[in-house]
Amino acid sequence: MSGHAAPKKKVSDMKRLWGMSIDLDKCTGCGACQVACSQENNMPIFDDDSDLPKRVVFLDLMKVTNENDKDAKFGEVKVAYLPKMCMQCAGNDPENPHPPCVSVCPVVATDVGDDGVVSQIWSRCIGCRYCQASCPYEARVFHWWKPRYEGSFQEGLNPDVSVSSRGAVVKCTFCSHIWKRERDRMIAKGITDINAVQYTPACVSSCPTGAMKFGDLKDPQSPVYEEKLRRDPRAVRLVHSIDALRDTNPAEYERRMKIKDFPNPKVWYLTSNEWLREKLSGFKKS
Amino acid sequence: MEKLERREIIMMAGGAVAGAAVGTLFSGAPFLGLQWLVEWTQDQYVPAPGEEKYLQGRCLLCPSACALSVRMIGSRAVKVETANTGCYKPQLAIQMLYHPERIKNPLKRVGKKGSGKFAPVSWEEAIKDIAAKIDGLRAGGKAARIAAINGSAAYASGEILKRLVRASGSPNVYSEPCVNTLSAAATRLTQGQSGSIYYDFENTDYILSFGARLVEGWGDPGRMNRALVGWKERKARYVQIDTACTRSASMADKWVPVNAGTETVLALGIANRLISMGRLSGGANFAQWSQIVINDYTPERVAQITGVGVDAIKEIAREFATARNPIAVAGKGASAVSSSTVEFAAVQALNSMVGSLGRRGGVMLVDYPGLGEVAVNAAGAKGLDDFIKNGAADLLFINEANPVHRSVYGRALAEKLKKDTMVVALMPLLNDSAAYADYVLPTISPIEGEPVEPRFRAMHPADALLAIAKAVKGLENAFPWTGNKDIIPLIGRQNVKAAGNFTFPVELFRTYLAEISKKIGDKNYPLSLVPIEAPMVGDGDGLALPYVLKGLDAVTLTGSKLWVMINPETAKQEGVSEGSRIDIESARGEIGSVKVHITKTVAPGAVAIPIGFGHEFYTRYAEDKGVNAKEIMSDDIDPISGAADWWFTRVKIS
Repeated sequence: MSGHAAPKKKVSDMKRLWGMSIDLDKCTGCGACQVACSQENNMPIFDDDSDLPKRVVFLDLMKVTNENDKDAKFGEVKVAYLPKMCMQCAGNDPENPHPPCVSVCPVVATDVGDDGVVSQIWSRCIGCRYCQASCPYEARVFHWWKPRYEGSFQEGLNPDVSVSSRGAVVKCTFCSHIWKRERDRMIAKGITDINAVQYTPACVSSCPTGAMKFGDLKDPQSPVYEEKLRRDPRAVRLVHSIDALRDTNPAEYERRMKIKDFPNPKVWYLTSNEWLREKLSGFKKS
Repeated sequence: MEKLERREIIMMAGGAVAGAAVGTLFSGAPFLGLQWLVEWTQDQYVPAPGEEKYLQGRCLLCPSACALSVRMIGSRAVKVETANTGCYKPQLAIQMLYHPERIKNPLKRVGKKGSGKFAPVSWEEAIKDIAAKIDGLRAGGKAARIAAINGSAAYASGEILKRLVRASGSPNVYSEPCVNTLSAAATRLTQGQSGSIYYDFENTDYILSFGARLVEGWGDPGRMNRALVGWKERKARYVQIDTACTRSASMADKWVPVNAGTETVLALGIANRLISMGRLSGGANFAQWSQIVINDYTPERVAQITGVGVDAIKEIAREFATARNPIAVAGKGASAVSSSTVEFAAVQALNSMVGSLGRRGGVMLVDYPGLGEVAVNAAGAKGLDDFIKNGAADLLFINEANPVHRSVYGRALAEKLKKDTMVVALMPLLNDSAAYADYVLPTISPIEGEPVEPRFRAMHPADALLAIAKAVKGLENAFPWTGNKDIIPLIGRQNVKAAGNFTFPVELFRTYLAEISKKIGDKNYPLSLVPIEAPMVGDGDGLALPYVLKGLDAVTLTGSKLWVMINPETAKQEGVSEGSRIDIESARGEIGSVKVHITKTVAPGAVAIPIGFGHEFYTRYAEDKGVNAKEIMSDDIDPISGAADWWFTRVKIS
């Protein structure tokens, strides 16, 4: 039967679209973001967290080098550190977001909100791990073991983040519970406009050199205004080679956008190093 | 074939079902299944709710005492907010606060020394006993047998302990080596003044670092991170000379790879170029010193030793000479620093030759008046390692330090401590050194006292030491302070002095080239061991915290095995491949096994090994994780600073 109206789009007052930028020229690889994230999000504590298959973290501090390139020579080899968390993908159309993980979740344990944050509800997860397989960034972790918090480490747990059970997938949510906390505070002050509330995730507020910035991608005043980032020659998104075609070959860009759904992440990396941009984007100019 | 009756078939089927049921019952599967069911269906642990508030306080980790804010839920501290002070350390405070192995009471040894068996005692009893020991030694004319080892981060308590030991009549107060203590020894020789070297990182425009890993915990980490941001903003050029592409080298505008242990030779090669460019120093003995540099350290020869090309040496010298406010930084390492007086002198010589000494944006001296000096009529050892090797004590304080693990003489110290010495250790977690203690006094973590209530019966180490000092007969007047709150403001003071004079210690340089050439030419040990530090682990303190372990990557520590890094060229020569298990042997002994990561980020001929691992006694999280490289590292004691220069060790692998 023809004449079906397209499903009516949900109307939302929400104007914000949270995003992050990480200036790798300023990142010393100190690890403060990783510790702050673990503390804020109740990461489990096992006897031996150097046991990699058992490890659960939302934020991975990766060491990147160009030493495996064919022409890399000792002395010219470069190293960079890369804090990697959930990239909060939107898919090709940010107005109608469908991140790879959300599309495959059979139980709506993961969903995308009107603020662009990809949520994950541990207790709803049945542990099928489809989302983990579909994630282009390996940002999701599975609890193979029951999370443990030995003895008095329990005292440091944050009540805003629920403790996961065994057999669930967990991931970074841009510390959306902090946003909730800030909203509640504003409401207590009598301010009910959701767009008046700002917040900062734990990793960003702990960064000693200010390399990590967080804000509204749609706000021209924000440090992560998307239009500005798109034009920034230092900006790059992780494994997102399609970005390079946007300006150089718009026709090809359009063609590819039609045939494939790209992750379109909301985390931008900034670096003045050409080699690192190539490595991160997965796109080599030469 | 006999025909089966229907009855028999039914009985056989019944038997099979009964057998399967009994088998399943005894296999344990039903019980395991039940356990899983319980685990999956019941609620997980829910953190206790409570009223949320933020407590404002100051970080106790270093004299900068940065402001911080602690998020509280009821009486529980759940997060530290640092407001971007530049330092990463406060993030670890919650884990230290709630560490399940925190010492709850003062402890007295009950087992054999080194066994780590203790029984709780009261503070009163412990203080009375320790003060009585001091009284006894003083009365018996053995005051000089009192000694103390302060950790490099023990600043307020370190000053109290120093005063306590010196006022008792002993010169034996030592500090775990850090860039301040090492550079102070060099400065006394070359500038004839007390004080440590003060680099004006905030105003320089060219930083030439000789292996000082400036953004990995070196010096005051908060200050260094803030300085780094400043360099990036005002386009100051940062050049890092290092054997491996460390985190600092990755942040630098340029990484100059250098053969292990040849930083001083490179500095003298650059000095040679500066002389030929007409950049001379007005310092005393410059003429004699420059003759040595001109004759022995030609760019060609230096290039051959250091592995840095002639053109690169010339380029660095040109950049350094033409910058407006250049500084050359000595003090190799990050949280752990190792250097020699000759190296400090060679690098300071460069600063002197470009006129950076005693100038804003250059290199000055800094004094920490602390609580003031107490004169003692006896001479102690020159430094910590000298004391461990040659000294002796009847009473030894170990204050927020871990020399048994950190010093290359750790094993020797442990042997000494097993004998008659009474050892008093002050720390929040039992470490390798505390295992040999007679008394362990529990101290607070960085956010306790203020703003968070102290847990258990832990005290600020400065308060614990004050209590002991006040119980010693005849010292009542030496300690007019009531607690750490009186002392901390006094400690934070620093006097920066613009000292531009410089005396070239010619004698140190006469034999240097021959010594280093001999060490490098050692055919029995064809490789060089150089230390690196893993994020947050530092010199070993961080390893007790599980979230630090979480941050270590797959080629640093996996399943308790430590990884070392070597260059593909070296790997080929030695016939090892990625993931091979090797043992490392130096003239001092052997450690193993460690795994090999092959990477071009390390110079050929070098084995880069993370330090701070291999604890024998330091909470269940740090114990038996990897190996302690200090056990086989070079133990040559610098004659001026009295600290071992362990940076560069010749080794072989098998």
